[in-house]
Amino acid sequence: MADARDREHAAAPSDPALRVQALESLLVEKGLVDRAAIDVLVDLYENKVGPRNGAQVVARAWIDPEFKRRLLADGTAAIAELGFSGQQGEKLTVVESTPSVHNVIVCTLCSCYPWPLLGLPPIWYKSSAYRARTVADPRGVLRELGLEVGNDVEVRVWDSNAASRYLVLPERPLGTETLGEAELAALVTRDAMLGVARVTLPRGDRS
Amino acid sequence: MNGIHDMGGMHGLGEIGYRRDDPAFHAAWEVRVHALVTALAAYGRWRALRPEIEAIPAAEYLRMSYYERWLAALTESIAKSGLAARAEIERGAASAGAQRSVPALTADTARTAALAAPRTELAIRVDPRFRVGQRVRGANLNTPTHTRMPRYTRGKVGVVERSRGVFALPDTDVYFGDPRPQHVYMVRFAARELWGDGASAHDAVYIDMWQDYLEPA
Repeated sequence: MADARDREHAAAPSDPALRVQALESLLVEKGLVDRAAIDVLVDLYENKVGPRNGAQVVARAWIDPEFKRRLLADGTAAIAELGFSGQQGEKLTVVESTPSVHNVIVCTLCSCYPWPLLGLPPIWYKSSAYRARTVADPRGVLRELGLEVGNDVEVRVWDSNAASRYLVLPERPLGTETLGEAELAALVTRDAMLGVARVTLPRGDRS
Repeated sequence: MNGIHDMGGMHGLGEIGYRRDDPAFHAAWEVRVHALVTALAAYGRWRALRPEIEAIPAAEYLRMSYYERWLAALTESIAKSGLAARAEIERGAASAGAQRSVPALTADTARTAALAAPRTELAIRVDPRFRVGQRVRGANLNTPTHTRMPRYTRGKVGVVERSRGVFALPDTDVYFGDPRPQHVYMVRFAARELWGDGASAHDAVYIDMWQDYLEPA
């Protein structure tokens, strides 16, 4: 069933798959593009770069206060210590959510997103409605996405338009004191690092 | 430009369509467009696809999916830069006797190119016009071409939180014009300053802004 979202994200006047195929063939024929290079890039964006990178950064910050200090002071340098860099990662800025401050990320002009840490953005992040509404009504958007933020908490919206790309350092959930770095990283979701969700323990593990 | 892409604060744009496990790609061709953009950017014939995306007429922009916009902008950039002729793009085949290039990226260099940290911050000294803690106002700019100043900041007063370093001004630099190196500042705007008394008194929007987008308040 076609809902508004499917219309925005899928409707096409003509088949773009065929146009891409034709364009790629032309570029290969002209020697502008090496098909093997395209395959490497496709594999990279589809399978290699993704939110597990960001989750490692978050988990490290949770267990290593000195790393966390460096991360908040200069995100790019601290993140490079873990081996992550790349396009859209020139000036990575990590913002910490606490019991009194909640951070959420958006790009109103296009779809700026910290690729090296989260991979490429999910479809909803690029939707017109998310881009339009998050700066003006963050609490309404978060509520719609299932996250209630208390009235005493300051909501900070980061409209990432310039050279910086932002990542939220979410709050570490209670009851995770005994977990190791890898176990902590497994709890951290993409949406928590965008600030539209909290990190929670799997059902059944809550203390 | 005061384009449809400058969406911050608009109403009536439909549903967010949030799904927890939403994929980055909706169809297999989308990731190939993404890869083609990376591979062709390596020629340095254009600084960004954004001006071409922003030039898509508003009604079409809203009708197109995200990667359809990328495909349209990529196709336009290829034609305008002369990497391929429009007739070749329409036919999907090279013209007879067309010169053959050497690919900018190969399987060996593609990964490194995609994972290299880009450097657009300029290592030159420019005196900052504003200092941390200073009140600034979004300038009343109605640039008809590419800019990174969202219109919701126009005329609004914020506070400089920190300097982000020196960068070329995208408004001119994206067209290979005068780069106008200048400081970029992280500016905090109170939600009520931007959106009125209906907004929460605690909340704020943070945005990095080029110096030319700001004036003292």
